[in-house]
Amino acid sequence: MKLSISKNVHLVEPGDFEPTDHWYPRVLNSNIHPLVAYFLNLSHDQMVERYHRLHPSSDADAIMGILKYQPKYFRWAGTDLMHVTNHEGNRRLTVIETNSCPSGQKSMPLLDLNVEQGGYRRLIEETFKPLVNSVQEEGSLAVIYDKNPMENIGYAATIADIFGENVLLAKFEKNDQDPPAKFVENKLFIRNEKEEWTPIRAAFRYVTQEPWTRIPKNSKTLLLNPIEACLAGGRNKEVASRSYDVFNQQFRDKGIRIFTPDTYRNVSFQELPEYFEKLGGSMVIKVPDSNAGQGVYTVISENELAEAMNKVNENDVYLVQQLIHSNYSKGLDPEKAWYHVGTIPDNKGRSFAFDLRLMMHATASGIRPLAVYSRRSRFPLNQPLPENMNSWEVYGTNLSIKGEDGWTYADERLMLFDIRNFGQLGLGIDELIKGFVQSAMAVYAIDQNAIKTFGDIQSNL
Amino acid sequence: MDKKILIVEDDVVFCKLLTRFLRKNGFEVMDAQSGKDALELVNLNKFELAVLDYRLPDMTGIEILKEVKRKNPKSKIILITRYGDQDVASKAIDSGADAFISKPINPDELLQVILGFE
Repeated sequence: MKLSISKNVHLVEPGDFEPTDHWYPRVLNSNIHPLVAYFLNLSHDQMVERYHRLHPSSDADAIMGILKYQPKYFRWAGTDLMHVTNHEGNRRLTVIETNSCPSGQKSMPLLDLNVEQGGYRRLIEETFKPLVNSVQEEGSLAVIYDKNPMENIGYAATIADIFGENVLLAKFEKNDQDPPAKFVENKLFIRNEKEEWTPIRAAFRYVTQEPWTRIPKNSKTLLLNPIEACLAGGRNKEVASRSYDVFNQQFRDKGIRIFTPDTYRNVSFQELPEYFEKLGGSMVIKVPDSNAGQGVYTVISENELAEAMNKVNENDVYLVQQLIHSNYSKGLDPEKAWYHVGTIPDNKGRSFAFDLRLMMHATASGIRPLAVYSRRSRFPLNQPLPENMNSWEVYGTNLSIKGEDGWTYADERLMLFDIRNFGQLGLGIDELIKGFVQSAMAVYAIDQNAIKTFGDIQSNL
Repeated sequence: MDKKILIVEDDVVFCKLLTRFLRKNGFEVMDAQSGKDALELVNLNKFELAVLDYRLPDMTGIEILKEVKRKNPKSKIILITRYGDQDVASKAIDSGADAFISKPINPDELLQVILGFE
C-alpha cells in the first residue's frame, strides 16, 4: 500500500487485504447462520422448483430464464426488500428499491471460513474478472468511489490479489473541483504519483452521488457497473418503477410479477395533499434519485405532510407509494393494505420493522445471491408512537449517519444473518428464495430497460 | 510501546488506514481530518508523536505542530509534504519538526521513522 500517491489516490498492492479493515468488528466475530449458508448454496434448479411448488400458478421456465439471465449492463446489484403480510396472513417480500452500487460486504459473515476474502472475492473473481479479461483496452486497474471506503479498499485489495497487479484507488466526488479521475473521449484516467494521467482499462465503480455528472455513457474503460445501469433505474426510483411495470405486463401470463407497494409516479408538489387523502391519510414520498434513506419521507398525519412539503422542492415531481403499515387495523382496506411482519418480539415484547438488503451478481451460471443483511427501525411497531416523534422512527431502517465515512453506523440496528441475529427476523429459506426471485426480476427489468434505452451490447460472458 | 500518536490528514482513507496500521503495531492512535478537530484533540490529550499533513483545508500542519510542541515540548513531529516540496520541508524543520516525509507514504517506512525516535 502506498498512501496518497496523489491527492485522494492510493496505490493498493497485492497482499494488502486486511479483514479487519473491510468488515465491521461485529461481523469479524460472527458465524453465518446455517440456513443462510444453505440458501446461498442452493442451485437455480432447487430455487425454481421450490418457488414453483409454493406458487403453482407461476411459470417455472420463465423464472429459470430470469435466474439464468446474463445482464448486459446491470451485473452487480442490490435490492432493499421488506417482509410484509396482509389481513389473511399472506406473507410477501416487497421490493422497495434497487441499487446499482450496493453496500453489504462489510455486514456479511463469511460463507466459507477458508476463503478469507469472502464475498469480495466471489464478486471480483466471478463477475469482474471475466469482464476485464474480455476487453482489449490498455491501462491499469482502478476502483473509483465516493462513499463506503471500508468496502472499496477491500475491493481494491481483492482486485490486486486476483490480478496480481497494483490497483489505483481514487475518490471521485461530485463537488471536487480538481478530481483525481477524469474521462477523456470516454476513457478513464487517474492521476498518478508523478501528477500524470494514467489510462485505466477497467474500474470497479462505487460512485453514487449523481454519477451521471462525471461518468459518460459508452465508456471505453470497462466499468462495473456502467452508468447505463444507473440511468435505466439502478439509481432512479421513477425509472425503475416504470421498468417494473413493463416487466409485469410482459410476464402477466406467466404468473409472476415484481411486487412493490402501490406506486404513483410524477406527482407534483401541489398534488401531494390529494394523494395523502387518496391513500387514506398515510403515504411515502420519495425524491426519485435519492438514496441511503435521504429524500424519503413517511407521512402519517397532516403535520408530517406539512413537514415533508417544507423539506422538498416545490418545482420537482415525486414518487408516492402506499405506506407499509406498522400493524393490522380494522380501518384499513383489506384488499390493499399490507403491514410489516416485524422482528420476533424481544423479551420486552417489542417487534421492529426491518428490511433485507440482498446483493447479487451476474456469474457464468446466471444471477446469484452474494450477501444479505437486515436493518431494523429505531422504534417498535407495536407500541403507540409518542407525540412529536416522527413516523420515520418506526418505518425507517437506514443505518447511514450523516457524514458517514464508512466507519460510523448505527451498529445496534444492524441485524446480521448470523447465528445470533437471524432467528430474530422470523425468516426461513422460503422467504429468502422469494426475496431473491423478486430481486432477480427487478435486475432483469432494469437491465431490459437499459437495453431498450441504450441498445444491446455484446455480453462478455 | 505505549506512545500516543496523533495523525492529521484531510483524506479519511489515509487517516483510517494509517491509524489501523499503527494500532496493529502497538500504538495508541487518534486522528483528525481538519486543523480545527486536531487542535481540539491536542487540547484534550498529550501526544508523544504527531504525524501532520502540511496542507489541510483550514490551516497548515505547522500551526498544529506549534500547538503540540507548546503542550508537550518533548513531542516528536513528523510533517508530511508533497513530493518535491523542498520549501515546505525546510520550513517544517525550522519550525521544530523532527522529520519530514514525502507522499506517497509507505506505512512500513513511516513505522521505521517512528521507531527511530525510540
